[in-house]
Amino acid sequence: MSSLLARFAENLYWLGRYLERAENTARILHINETYARDNPAGPDWRRVLDLYSDTERFFENHDQANARAVLDFYILDRGNPTSIAFSVANARENARTVRHLISTEMWTQINLFHNAMKAKTLPTIMLSQLSSVASGMVTHCQTFDGIADGTFLRGEPYSFYQLGKYLERADQTTRVLDIGYDRLSLQDPDAVSSVQWSTMLRSVSGYHAYRYRHPASSSPGDIATFLLYDTEFPRAVALCIQRVTERLHDLEQRHDKQRRDELEKPRRALEFAMDTGPGAKLTSKRLHQFLDNVQISLADMSNAIANAYFGHT
Amino acid sequence: MSNTRRQSQSRTPLLADYDPGDYFCEMLGRRGLSHTREIRSRLNALDNGGLRRRARDAETELLNLGITFTVYSDRDAIDRVLPFDVIPRVLSTKDWEMIETGVKQRITALNLFLHDIYHDAYILKDGIVPADLVQGNDNYRPEMRGLDLPHGTYIHICGTDIVRDGKGKLCVLEDNGRIPSGVSYVIENRHLMMRAFPDLADGIAVAEVDQYGERLMRAMTEVAPQGMSHPEVVVLSPGIFNAAYFEHVFLAREMGAPLVEGRDLIVENDKVFMRTTAGLSPVHVIYRRINDDFLDPEAFRPDSTLGVPGLFRAYRKGNVTLANAVGTGVADDKAVYAYVPRIIRYYLDEDPILPNVPTNICREADGLAKTLDNLDGLVTKPVGEAGGYGVVIGPRSSQRELRELRTKLKADPANYISQPMVSLSVCPTLIGRKVEPRHVDLRPFALTGKSTWVLPGGLTRVALRRGSLVVNSSQGGGSKDTWVLV
Repeated sequence: MSSLLARFAENLYWLGRYLERAENTARILHINETYARDNPAGPDWRRVLDLYSDTERFFENHDQANARAVLDFYILDRGNPTSIAFSVANARENARTVRHLISTEMWTQINLFHNAMKAKTLPTIMLSQLSSVASGMVTHCQTFDGIADGTFLRGEPYSFYQLGKYLERADQTTRVLDIGYDRLSLQDPDAVSSVQWSTMLRSVSGYHAYRYRHPASSSPGDIATFLLYDTEFPRAVALCIQRVTERLHDLEQRHDKQRRDELEKPRRALEFAMDTGPGAKLTSKRLHQFLDNVQISLADMSNAIANAYFGHT
Repeated sequence: MSNTRRQSQSRTPLLADYDPGDYFCEMLGRRGLSHTREIRSRLNALDNGGLRRRARDAETELLNLGITFTVYSDRDAIDRVLPFDVIPRVLSTKDWEMIETGVKQRITALNLFLHDIYHDAYILKDGIVPADLVQGNDNYRPEMRGLDLPHGTYIHICGTDIVRDGKGKLCVLEDNGRIPSGVSYVIENRHLMMRAFPDLADGIAVAEVDQYGERLMRAMTEVAPQGMSHPEVVVLSPGIFNAAYFEHVFLAREMGAPLVEGRDLIVENDKVFMRTTAGLSPVHVIYRRINDDFLDPEAFRPDSTLGVPGLFRAYRKGNVTLANAVGTGVADDKAVYAYVPRIIRYYLDEDPILPNVPTNICREADGLAKTLDNLDGLVTKPVGEAGGYGVVIGPRSSQRELRELRTKLKADPANYISQPMVSLSVCPTLIGRKVEPRHVDLRPFALTGKSTWVLPGGLTRVALRRGSLVVNSSQGGGSKDTWVLV
């Protein structure tokens, strides 16, 4: 059994990343709208632009951050590298390149998703509830991942797909937390309606999981700890990092236990950032700084993987 | 028949209004071919609406499966489906036997020819084929002289274009011995057909086509450099922007082989390696889907970015096998084509099983005279073009077009051949709401390692425009599933 081409490893990694990114962007757009239900002024879409550091780029071509413009920017605009359409198109191009390494069902599903994205127009998105558009896109991504789980040979290609998926998911969960906690006043948790807490948890499919783990508490600290550290929750940052570590270990085993020292440093840095945590007394600012650190460590990890396996040196 | 009639009382049988006119019909023959009787009665029992619905579903499925040609523009990738017609083309056991043995004979002779012209060139010395036609040919590669190939195989993968004339006689139109494409459609069409119309073939013994990938892998293993019992075989593609990329993916999957691009390969000490996640890994056999010209910038076109520097050196050292071999283009040249019957007799001392379409060679005075005298009745083809480009169909051309052709012919006669107009056979084909006759050809695929194996059936291409004889996908052609009855 020969090893995987370095170029394909990279395509598989990005296939995983782009689809996970598309799913999470859809989740974020949804949660931003839902949060604003009680606000007569409607959702503040600049929050999402901040979250992805897109404010400057967005205002180059738009005057106003209204629903129409922001949804077009994040859902349909193929020229915007942070849009869902861009992610799906790129996921498909990556899948096309490694078409011979993935299953026919995976390929078919990504084509269905891609065709569905191409059929979307702004008027239809504005007409239907954003929630149904968003959940449709999330379902496409989940269908793909489910098909991958059931049909993708557990070899090297699978490991790279998983690496991309979990690194992206870890990053995205930190962003959901960031947007959530920025909106919710940490100083006065009682002022926050339980509807808003549950909405944030639901946006990462974590509401019932959280309830099961913490039946009697809705404290902001518990919820943050849950999303960061509960390794039984599939979207928790710690679980994602654990999966990344496992896949890296698989790859070392596969390559005759060849140690990849260049991966050890960023892995330890990531571990350290997570162990340090946001501090005992949770504040919005501290949490934000902590999440920033984790995001930087995740990016370093991604670069190290590229250097070790994709022939980027 | 009475049963069919009862079932379809409220509707017209599918083939009721079908009239192939003066053409030979693959389904009806001259007087109703007996081997297609059962299939015809099943087709007649299908209602037109249902047939069209199933055809539409099949087309959607092609799109979802990504079985497409991709045309790239600045911003978008546009996927075009090769149109698929749901009425199969059926070949009798007897016709297939003739095609199979005829194709094997032809490839055997062409491989001997290629070995000869790159070694002692007896056939040229004996004056059977003009030496300058071969050695002065653009596709002749002097770099190949004296190189011995495993089993003397040059054309490992061949796609011979075969047509049936107005009388129903099979003949060869072209030997595609460079990089023939289309085999993926043979297999995908079959899968699609069996999903959309399982009832049509139920109980009819049709030869399987699924073993192609395995056979191809076996042939590639057989021609590996000496002493390689477990060679690493790869498929070399120009990349995702190539229109046939889907087929390259298909082949790699069917063979279980890595699909590589030039940039994934590197030559060190005249040995070929691929760049993997675990470092460099040796490669022994390359099924390349890149033209000779682009294979190696050191040996051929220096501006090629698709190829691998040093690949040809490794090849000459016998460290890697290329399939097809370099320099096969001279054997499927349209001018050399005219000599293939003589090539078969020369090496095998046999009569050709499959005849050529009679061909005038314009480089010969006699051939040129016959062509010029009869321009409006002949099909004239430039010898260097592929894909149906530059072909002038005399009876369908204007006086001006013929005048232009006459000038070109006189200026460069060696660039042309001419053939009588072959009134290609037709197949019933679903066009809009009706079933109409459309012209077809056939491209069976043959694999040669130690010996030759032919995939039963092949690609039936169909010219979807009424009256058109051009079946190429680039010019409005589609395809059909091809059934060989066993």
